[in-house]
Amino acid sequence: MAAAAGAVPVPVPVPAAGAEAAGPGEEAAGAGPPGTGPARLARLPLARVKALVKADPDVSLASQEAVFVLARATELFVETIAKDAYVYAQQGKRKTLQRKDLDNAIEAIDEFAFLEGTLD
Amino acid sequence: MAERPEDLNLPNAVITRIIKEALPDGVNISKEARSAISRAASVFVLYATSCANNFAMKGKRKTLNAGDVLSAMEEMEFQRFVAPLKESLEVYRREQKGKKEARKDKDKKADSEEQDKSREEENDDDDERMEEEEQNDEEEVDN
Repeated sequence: MAAAAGAVPVPVPVPAAGAEAAGPGEEAAGAGPPGTGPARLARLPLARVKALVKADPDVSLASQEAVFVLARATELFVETIAKDAYVYAQQGKRKTLQRKDLDNAIEAIDEFAFLEGTLD
Repeated sequence: MAERPEDLNLPNAVITRIIKEALPDGVNISKEARSAISRAASVFVLYATSCANNFAMKGKRKTLNAGDVLSAMEEMEFQRFVAPLKESLEVYRREQKGKKEARKDKDKKADSEEQDKSREEENDDDDERMEEEEQNDEEEVDN
C-alpha cells in the first residue's frame, strides 16, 4: 500500500542549521531566506542559546522573545567581529582570516574588551 | 555529564556560514579563527545574559524579557545592534502570532471530536515562558 502523500507532514528533524528551504513552516529559528537583512529570523538554534542562558545561576527564567533577541544579537556580534578581524588580515595582505587577526581586533576595539582572556 | 558554560558551543556550521556571509567572496577562515569566534560568541551570550539579568532584577522581575536584552546591548556598547534587533523582534512576534492562530485552529478540530473534555489549551500565555513547550517549535541541532 502506497504511503499517503497527502497526509499531514510529520515534522522530520531537518538540520535547521544548514537548511535554507524551510519545511512546511515548522521551525521557528531556521525559517527565512538568507540575506534578507536585519529583519530575518534567527539562524542559531534557540535551544542552544537557551542552554547558555540557563547556565547562569542567577537567571531564573527567560522569555522566548529574550532568547530570540539574544540569538540575533549573537549573530550580529559574529558578523561584526569577523569583519573587524578581517581588517587585520587585509593589512597583512592575507585572504585567510587567522587567529591572530582576532586577537588584534579584541585588543584594539573597546567593545571586545570583555573577551580578553576568555578565548584560550 | 556536567556542562560548564564555556563548553556550551553554538553549531559550527551556522557560525561558519555567518562569518562567510560577513566577509567578501574568496576570503577564507582558518579553523583556529573560526573556533575562536565560536567561543567568543558563547562568551557574548553569557555576558549579555548576565547584563540583561541585571536589568530584570532592577525591574524586580524574575523573567528576562526582550527589553532587558536590548538594554544589555546598550550597556555593552553595542547600541548599533538595537535597531536591527527591534526589527527582527517585530518579525518574530508576527510569526509567533501566526503560529498561535494555526494552533488554535488545530485545537478547534480536535475539540469538535471531544467536546466533553475541559479546554486546557485556551491559556496561551505560557508562550511568554521558556518551558519545555518551546521544544515543540524548535529542533535541536546536534553537530
